[in-house]
Amino acid sequence: MPKEVLIRYDRCLGCRSCQLACAVAHSGAGSLLGAVLNGERPRARIFIHQAGGHKAPLNCRHCQDAPCIDACIAGAMHRQEDGTVTNVGGDQQCTACWMCVMVCPYGVIRSDADGTLALKCDRECRDEKGVPACVRACPTGALVYDEVDEYSDKRRLDVLNRALSNL
Amino acid sequence: MRFVIIGNSAAGVAAVETLRRLGGYRHRITVVSDEPAGAYSRCLLPDLVAGKRTENSINLRPAEFYRRLEVELLAGVAAVEVRPREKRLVLQDGRELAYDRLLVATGASPVLPAVPGTELEGVCTLRTLRDARRLSALVPRVSGAVVVGGGLVGLKAALALRQAGLGRVTVVVTSPRLLIRQLDERAAAMVERELINAGIDFIYNARVKAFAAGPKGRLTGVELEDGRELPAGLAVVAKGVRPNSGLVEKAGGKVGQGIVVDGNMRTSLEDIYAAGDCIQVTDRLTGQKVNSALWTLAFEQGRYAAANMLGMARPYPAPLTRLNSARFGGVDVVSVGNLEGEEVLAHYDPLSRTYRRLVFSGGRLAGFILAGRVDGAGVYTALVKSGRPAWAYRRQLLEGRVGSVALDLLFKRDKGAHNSYE
Repeated sequence: MPKEVLIRYDRCLGCRSCQLACAVAHSGAGSLLGAVLNGERPRARIFIHQAGGHKAPLNCRHCQDAPCIDACIAGAMHRQEDGTVTNVGGDQQCTACWMCVMVCPYGVIRSDADGTLALKCDRECRDEKGVPACVRACPTGALVYDEVDEYSDKRRLDVLNRALSNL
Repeated sequence: MRFVIIGNSAAGVAAVETLRRLGGYRHRITVVSDEPAGAYSRCLLPDLVAGKRTENSINLRPAEFYRRLEVELLAGVAAVEVRPREKRLVLQDGRELAYDRLLVATGASPVLPAVPGTELEGVCTLRTLRDARRLSALVPRVSGAVVVGGGLVGLKAALALRQAGLGRVTVVVTSPRLLIRQLDERAAAMVERELINAGIDFIYNARVKAFAAGPKGRLTGVELEDGRELPAGLAVVAKGVRPNSGLVEKAGGKVGQGIVVDGNMRTSLEDIYAAGDCIQVTDRLTGQKVNSALWTLAFEQGRYAAANMLGMARPYPAPLTRLNSARFGGVDVVSVGNLEGEEVLAHYDPLSRTYRRLVFSGGRLAGFILAGRVDGAGVYTALVKSGRPAWAYRRQLLEGRVGSVALDLLFKRDKGAHNSYE
């Protein structure tokens, strides 16, 4: 059963810890100070937004029939064995045509600073225990990295998972 | 079961992958393709001409793809006849293939104008790898080129020819501006400025009268209807495509704006399915029957067709048939859905140098254009596709603050589930 980053919306305070941790984990330097000293402007792949009175993170759902994979003209966007949908590390290179950006219903695929690569959650930020940086950084436990079925079994699901993958 | 697929581009490849993913390895799959080798990304052919990419780097799948998925690829041979009663496919070289289910994914071919000289050496199209090779071979031998057509393919070809080192590239456009099917005046002007900066000339409101030949049968210039003659050793015709529906039509199958398929991608012929640029689809917004002709749609249709061929009933929802993304220099453009409607809102954001145009009909977003930066475009696309009420989001959409819109849609959609836990 593939794992997913699940969100307990009621716990999110909108502190952007996940956003910062994501950006740093994906930076060349790998640390905030290092990135700043290198003159990097790390880019996050998870985003805090406000809707109604709530703040909440929005990130890639690694959709089942992922529209970004269908749309990729280069064949770069693909699904890995563990379910991760990514445009890096595959057989072909991202060509920055933004077809994936055009079809992602969550708006969570963005261009890099130079406009030469589409950036998205690639789970390349997981630590030695396999936990993604955003989840590790969340101080309130609003982000959970878990197997979807197991999680719903616990009936603690505030997760919107089905709705998310069908939007 | 024995599956035969005619065509090895987006729809064919997606079908192969889906047949294996959902159907395992007990079926036989044969792919017939008139292209010389494996699948490649058609949309990247301009990059090849520009010299920015090699042939290897535009392969759609790695070389071992066919072996790994246990697919028999018959490349470089065209299918010439379908015999639906015998369930056999006849190839150009006389071979016959028996099938249980056949997928026709024959794509589309460029339309050439009905004017003299289209057969000349130097008059090209840019649709296949062969075309790209031919163009690349001609570039060093000429000093100027004319591109006929101001659509996406024409403009990408023009830019590629400049990048390949051609000194003079002129685009002849029938319409009063470029990308008339995708953009409004403002967005088109942004793209035009980029292309002019790249050294491309434009002639609007003009039609080609003839391609003129020199003594050796080579192209020497392009004559326009208004009498002008543009000297050129190379011309690229980019006036759209026509679905390759001939095989099905000859076999007695129904054809409209492409091969007619039902909701499960079946043609009117038994056990014959079709997907990709060769078929007719019903536009989700207008209800009009149009030729499919988009890479994204071809890919998803290949998936749906394969599932249906395996006997899993997967109805294909009516697609958005206007769905384009492209970049020209520093300007990215995305254009989706209708260009006109009841309410049109437009806004230029000088900070991000981004122009946004929203088209509303009945309180729903029926189309949009983004030019400049296109981050978050998919949220607009999702609104157009879903047909949900969107008027309340107009400010956020116009200003590009779409993250909160996406989140709000999620909350609304999931109110039921939201309350049922904890």
